[in-house]
Amino acid sequence: MAPPDLQGGRAVHVTHEDVRRLCEFLYRRTGMLFDESKRYYIDRRLSERIAATGSESFQAYFAVLRSDAREEIEHLVNAFTVNETYFYREDHQLRCMTSNLLDDLLRRKQAGDTLRIWSIPCSTGEEPYSIAMWLMENWSEVDRHNIEIVASDIDTRALKAAAEGVYGARALMRLSPSLIDRYFAPVDDGHFQIDPGLRESIQFTRANLIDPREMSSYRDFDIVFCRNVLIYFDDASRRIAAESLYDCLRPGGYICLGHSETMSRISPLFGVRRFPDAIVYQRPEAA
Amino acid sequence: MSATDMPPRASRGRILVVDDSSLVRLYCRDVLERAGFEVEQAINGLEAMEKVTAATFDLVIVDVNMPRMDGMSFVRALRRSELTVASIPSLIITTEAAQQDRDDARAAGANYYLVKPVSEADLIRHAAVLTGSPP
Amino acid sequence: MPFVRRGATGEADGTAAAEAAPQLTGLTNPDPEVRWATARRIGGIAAAVPALATALEAEQNLRVREALMTALMRVGDGASVRALLPYLRAQDAALRSSAIETLQALPDAVSPFINTLLADADPDVRILATELVRNIPADRATRILSDLLEQELQPNVCAAAVDVLAEVGTRDALPALRACAERFRDTPFLPFAIATTIGRIASSG
Repeated sequence: MAPPDLQGGRAVHVTHEDVRRLCEFLYRRTGMLFDESKRYYIDRRLSERIAATGSESFQAYFAVLRSDAREEIEHLVNAFTVNETYFYREDHQLRCMTSNLLDDLLRRKQAGDTLRIWSIPCSTGEEPYSIAMWLMENWSEVDRHNIEIVASDIDTRALKAAAEGVYGARALMRLSPSLIDRYFAPVDDGHFQIDPGLRESIQFTRANLIDPREMSSYRDFDIVFCRNVLIYFDDASRRIAAESLYDCLRPGGYICLGHSETMSRISPLFGVRRFPDAIVYQRPEAA
Repeated sequence: MSATDMPPRASRGRILVVDDSSLVRLYCRDVLERAGFEVEQAINGLEAMEKVTAATFDLVIVDVNMPRMDGMSFVRALRRSELTVASIPSLIITTEAAQQDRDDARAAGANYYLVKPVSEADLIRHAAVLTGSPP
Repeated sequence: MPFVRRGATGEADGTAAAEAAPQLTGLTNPDPEVRWATARRIGGIAAAVPALATALEAEQNLRVREALMTALMRVGDGASVRALLPYLRAQDAALRSSAIETLQALPDAVSPFINTLLADADPDVRILATELVRNIPADRATRILSDLLEQELQPNVCAAAVDVLAEVGTRDALPALRACAERFRDTPFLPFAIATTIGRIASSG
C-alpha cells in the first residue's frame, strides 16, 4: 500500500496499522468514525495531506497532526468532509425526515402545532433552502401543517448571502432542471436566485453554537440539522454545544449530524435512532 | 488481518466486541476468529447500540470502563430494548474481582463477567457457552 | 407556501434570564429541570466552584450531573480539577467515566496533577490517569508512560499505558515496552498489546 506522492517524490509507505492509528486519533479528536469499508477513502486523503505537509513518513505526519501544527487537524477534517456546500447535500437525511421523523413528531403533536426546524450552521443557505424545497417536493402533508424553518450561522457575511439566495451552477449540481425551474430564477452571468417566497419563509439569524447564552433563546425545535461543524470543535466546546442543542430541542426532538459524525464521542444526553435512510439522535421524550 | 490457514467453516456465532481500546478489540477479534466466530467491533456503547439494532448477534462482549456509555449502562440499555435485542447474551469485562462489580454486572442484566486481563482460553470458553455453540 | 416565520426566535424569556446573575440556590432545587438550567447558566464563574462541588456530591440525576461537570469544566482551573478528582475513585463506573471525560477536556489544568495520579495507590485511578496523558505532547507523554511501565506491577495499568502509547508513543518507548513484554510474558493479552504497539511505533518512518 504505497500511494504515489502527489509531488512526484518518494512514495510514503502507509500501513494498515498507521491507518488504524489515524482513525482512532480522528475519532477521539473529532468524533468522526470510519469503518473498514471506508479504507480507500482514508488512504487517499491521508496521502494528500502527507504530501501537502511535506512529511517524509507517516510517523512524521502523525506528529504534525497530533500537535495540530499549522492547523493540520482542520486541514485533514476538511479533506474528509468535502468542504463545500450545495443543495441537497447528504439528502438521505432529508429523506429520513420525510419518511420517518415527521410522522413520529406529528404523533406527539396537537393539531395546529407548528413544526420547527433549525439549520445551524446554515452557511450561505443551501441547507435551509434544501430543507424547504425537499419538504414541498416530497412531503404529501406539507400544506396541512405550519412549518417554521430557522437558519443560523456565526458568519454574518454568509447570512447576508443566504438571505439574498443567489447561487452558481455548482451549488445546484444535484438538482434536476425541473427543480431549478420551479424554485429558481436565472440572474446575470450563470447565477440563479431562489424564489422570493422561499427566501422570505426562512428566518436567518446570527448565532454562536458555543455560546450557551446566545443558544438559550432558541427553544422547542423538532429537528435540528447540525452537520459537519462539531468535528471542528475541541472537546470542551463540543460538550457545551451539545448541552445547548439538547435544550434547544423539544423532548423527542431529533438532531442530524454529518454522515461520519457520531454523538457517541460528544455527549451521553441523546439516544440513537436508526432509520433506513439515516442514523439520527434524539432528545429523550418527556417521561 | 487475522492470520489463519484453517479452512473456512460455518461460523460458530456472531459476536460484537465493545471496547474503546483498539488493542483489546483486536485481541478479542483475533482470538475469537481463530476459534471460528464472526466478530464485529464497536468503539463504545452508543455505537454498539447502533450495531445491535441493525444486525443479529449471538453475544455482546463489553468492557465496563468506556467513556460516554459505560459497559453497565450499555447492558441496561440493551435489556430495555425491543425483545430480539434485549435477549442477546452479554459478557462484561471488568477490572476488579470485587463483589461490587460482580453484583453490578448481574443487576445490569449481564449474563456473566470476566476479569481483565482475559486469557484466550477463558474468552473462547465463555463465548462458546454463551452463544450456545458446541465446543 | 406552508412556511411560517415569526419575528422572535422562539418562546423567549431567554434574554432576560441570561442577563440575571445565576441563582446558585437553584443547584439544590428539588426539580431537576431547575438544577439543570442553573448549572447551565453558571458560565465559567470561579466563585461557583464550591457550590458546584457540593451539588455534585448529592446529585443523582445523570443529566444534571453532566451539566454540573460541564460547569466545572467551563471554569477549568485547579479548583475545578480538584473538585472532579475524587470521582475517579467512585464505585459507579458511569461516574468515573464522566469525571475522566471532563478532565480530558482540560489538558492544561490537569497537567500538574498527572504524575500524582499515575502514582496513586488505587490501580483503577492509575488506569484512568493514563487517559489524561493522551493530550500531552508525544515526547513528554512517552517519557511519563515509559517510566510508569518500568515500575508498574499491575498488568491492567500497563495495558492502559500501552494503549495510550499506541497512539502517542515515539521510538523512545520501545525499550520500556520490550522490557514490559518480557516481565509479563505469561500474562494474557499484554504481550499481544505490546507487540501490536511496537509494530505501530516502529513500522512507520
